[in-house]
Amino acid sequence: MADASLVERARRGDAAAFGALVQRHFRAAYAVALAQLGDPTDAEDVCQDAFVRALERLDQCREPAKFAGWLMTIVRNCAHNFRSYERVRATEPLDPASMNGPGPAHAARDAERGELRALLQTALAELSPAQREVVLLHDMEGWKHREIAERLGLSEVASRQHLFNARRALREGLGGRNVLREYANED
Amino acid sequence: MKTDDRIDFSSLDPTGDPERFEGIVRSIGERAAAELAARRARSDVFGEISRWWRPMLAAAAITGIISIGTLTQVEPNAPMLASREVGLAEAIGVPTQLAEWVRSDEAPTTTELMLSLEDES
Repeated sequence: MADASLVERARRGDAAAFGALVQRHFRAAYAVALAQLGDPTDAEDVCQDAFVRALERLDQCREPAKFAGWLMTIVRNCAHNFRSYERVRATEPLDPASMNGPGPAHAARDAERGELRALLQTALAELSPAQREVVLLHDMEGWKHREIAERLGLSEVASRQHLFNARRALREGLGGRNVLREYANED
Repeated sequence: MKTDDRIDFSSLDPTGDPERFEGIVRSIGERAAAELAARRARSDVFGEISRWWRPMLAAAAITGIISIGTLTQVEPNAPMLASREVGLAEAIGVPTQLAEWVRSDEAPTTTELMLSLEDES
C-alpha cells in the first residue's frame, strides 16, 4: 500500500496503517537519528518520539506521498532537541570516547559484533552530520541518491560527494577491517 | 551477489533482530495508542455527521416548506390574534375594563378607575 493511503488511514486512527508506516520507515528514521546523535540507543529513543510526534502532527503533512521526507525533518528536529537537552546535562553525545555501544548485555551476547559496532560508532563520529546521514541512508537503508536528494533537500551531486568522502573516512577509521557489504541490486 | 564499497552497518541496525524490532514497533504503537484512539473518535463523529447530513438537510427542507405553508394560511386571520390577546389578558387576571382602556389608548378618569377596581373586588 502506498504511503499516501497509509497516511490517510492513520489520520483516521487506523493503528495497523500507522504500524505499517513505522515498519516501513523506521530504519531510515533511525539512520537519520543515528547520524545526528551517534549513539544507537539515543537514536532509537529519538525515533520513537519522532513517530509519535509525527502522528500527532499528521494533519500538517500536506503531501502524504512524501511522508518519508516529512518524517525525516521531524526526526532531525527531535534529535536536535535531544542533543540540546543532553548539552544542558553537560554530555557530549558525539564524543567518540562516550560512545560505549548498546550496553554490556548486547556486547556479551556477541562480543565481535559489539566490537565492530563500537568501531563503527567511533568512525562515524569523525564524519560530518551530512556525511553520516548520506552514508547511513545509502548503505544501511538502501536509499538511492535521487531519494536522498529529494528527501533531505540535497542535490544528487552533493549526495554522491558526501557518500564518497564518508566511505573513504570510514575505511580509514576502521583500519582495513572488512566492513564491505554484499548487495544484490545496483544503485 | 556483488561487493561494492558499501559499508556493512548491520551491527548498528536494530531492525536486523526481528524480535527486537517487533518490540520497538510495539512500543511506538503503545505510545501512540491514545492519539490513535482520539483520531478514531474524531473520525467517528465526522463520519456520523457526513452520513446524516443529507437526511437532515431533507428533513429541514420539509420542515421549512410546512412552516411557510402554515404561516401563509395564518396571515389572513391576523386580526383574530388581537381578540385572543384580550382573552389572554383576562385569563391572567387583568380586569376587563383595564384591558379595554389599554387597547383604546384612552386614559380613564379617576372616578372610572375607582369604580372599575371596586367592581373587580
